[in-house]
Amino acid sequence: MQTAASNSAALAASRQAASARAAAAAWPYGRTLYLVLNIAILVFLLAPIAIVAVFALNPTPFIQFPPVGVSLRWFEKFFASRDFMHALGFSLEVAVLTTVSATMLGACAALALARGNLPGTRLIVATMLSPLMLPAILTGLALFQTYVLLDVGRPTWGLVGGHTLVTLPYVVRTTLAVLHNFDTRLEEAARNLGASPLRTFFEVTLPLIKPGVIAGAIFAFIVSFDQFPVSLFLVSPGNETLPVTLFNYLKFDLDGTIGAASVVSIVLAFVVVIGLDRTVGLRSYVKL
Amino acid sequence: MSASIEIAGVSKVYDGGIRAVDAVAMDIRQGEFFSLLGPSGCGKTTTLRMIAGFETPSAGAIRVDGADITHVPAHKRDMGMVFQNYALFPHRTVAENVAFGLRMRGLDKASIAANVKAALAMVELSGLEDRRPAQLSGGQQQRVALARAIVIAPRVLLCDEPLGALDKKLRQQMQFELKQLQKKLGLTLVFVTHDQEEALAMSDRIAVMNGGRVEQVGTPSEIYNQPTTRFVADFIGDTNIFRGERIGPNLSVGKDLILALPPAETQGTGILSVALRPEKIRLSPRIDVAIAAGSSAHGTVENTNFLGGAVLYRITLDSGHRVLVQQPNAGTGRLFVPGDAVTLEWTPADLVVLKD
Repeated sequence: MQTAASNSAALAASRQAASARAAAAAWPYGRTLYLVLNIAILVFLLAPIAIVAVFALNPTPFIQFPPVGVSLRWFEKFFASRDFMHALGFSLEVAVLTTVSATMLGACAALALARGNLPGTRLIVATMLSPLMLPAILTGLALFQTYVLLDVGRPTWGLVGGHTLVTLPYVVRTTLAVLHNFDTRLEEAARNLGASPLRTFFEVTLPLIKPGVIAGAIFAFIVSFDQFPVSLFLVSPGNETLPVTLFNYLKFDLDGTIGAASVVSIVLAFVVVIGLDRTVGLRSYVKL
Repeated sequence: MSASIEIAGVSKVYDGGIRAVDAVAMDIRQGEFFSLLGPSGCGKTTTLRMIAGFETPSAGAIRVDGADITHVPAHKRDMGMVFQNYALFPHRTVAENVAFGLRMRGLDKASIAANVKAALAMVELSGLEDRRPAQLSGGQQQRVALARAIVIAPRVLLCDEPLGALDKKLRQQMQFELKQLQKKLGLTLVFVTHDQEEALAMSDRIAVMNGGRVEQVGTPSEIYNQPTTRFVADFIGDTNIFRGERIGPNLSVGKDLILALPPAETQGTGILSVALRPEKIRLSPRIDVAIAAGSSAHGTVENTNFLGGAVLYRITLDSGHRVLVQQPNAGTGRLFVPGDAVTLEWTPADLVVLKD
């Protein structure tokens, strides 16, 4: 069995190599062109981030190329700033709360839409996904006006609510996608073997839709953590998220602190994605 | 342990008025291998799903050992089921799949492990406990599904075309094994299939279904030899069906063909259909002497279909009717070729009168 598998793997590899050789013989530059094109796309995608990183490490207080040296002074300034630290903490708090609420609501909504036999399902799905299609600034303005009308002020839950609104579509989308391919006979098999509907949900349905739900949760976290237009309308003075604080800072200063803050945001987003991946084990479930 | 099932006048009507199952009634005996056989859309799977509790009958009742379970939820029915594509839990190992039902029943770890081991040994899958379903072949998945269903010692085992996805050779082997296991455990087994050969080979009794109704219930030989309806005669195996007008003890089929009805057949007047199996007809080179009207006819071989153990001839009678005749390839006598003039003979008692 083992040897058969490794044999066939070796066979496939040699076949692949042969076809690559054949392609190379036909036109020797094909592979090189392919590589160059891919590298060009990667550079295009990552260059702005690299520039931010260079900006953050460059000791001069303005954007300069080539950089004159490497220093951590902007990082020191960022971490020493009470405003920035408060904003970072608040952003994380909002992002975590948003992720939890958007994931719970979105996953439940997707389940109801996929299974509930509700009338007008398509219309409901379109409505749920509509925040994706509207400019976020409109959503922010609309929420702002609503909160003013309701005279609730600008509480944290209001901000989390706004973020939930714009992140919900991601969770609904990713969860619906896995539910679409879900074999309902698996649930019937569980019922048949004696699992109550609730037990069936936790033993079979949830583990199998988990990849979609977690993918949605990651989107929700990142979108919330990066959210600017909605936050701009809904934050209260002295309680601002990191993007809003950065924006305000930019209005008066343009130094490497901005770059340092951006690098920290990027690293944090990475940590969250990798952390979720490792703890909940995305990879082992993605291929069903 | 095993139970009997009584299906009493069960109907299933879906939204839009589609009658998937129409007043089905049957008694499945304890320890019996009972097949629901019919073409797709005949209601056999819906009937099975109602027994399992995945669908609720619109009318009628289902009783297990006399107790009405029509409205008992699926997870409290204590029935095992093998699904068409096995429905193994992809996120669990073989052992966890098999253990699932035992875990739901709250057994302790040690007895779960012992039962799982025994069930996997029974289906000859020992050693594959830690594999995932995706790492198994179709035949192995089938066995896991079977082990998962029987490990809970179900009152009834339900099988929804469980062998349909296997290739022919493996299917035949699994047919033997499933039948053997069923007898050994004394299981009441309800088996849904559209494959008439499979149903004939495995079942103690068969219910042939069509258009949501039961056409006939009987043993394989009853279903094959004494089909009661035109549908059953036509659906099971090859057959010749003649439709004509009854004149005294004979049936007049068209202008030039007279069939003597079975001596016992005194019922029925007017227009009748009769069935005659291809292998019940004897074939010989044409002899130009007077032949017995009603139990023989002249014809010409149109084409032949060599089946190995037998030869199937399509013959056009002098009266213009087309008839299938099957002859064993016994090694004696020569095989006929297209164009040969032949004489057909049969025994009137082999004719089966059908209800339309």
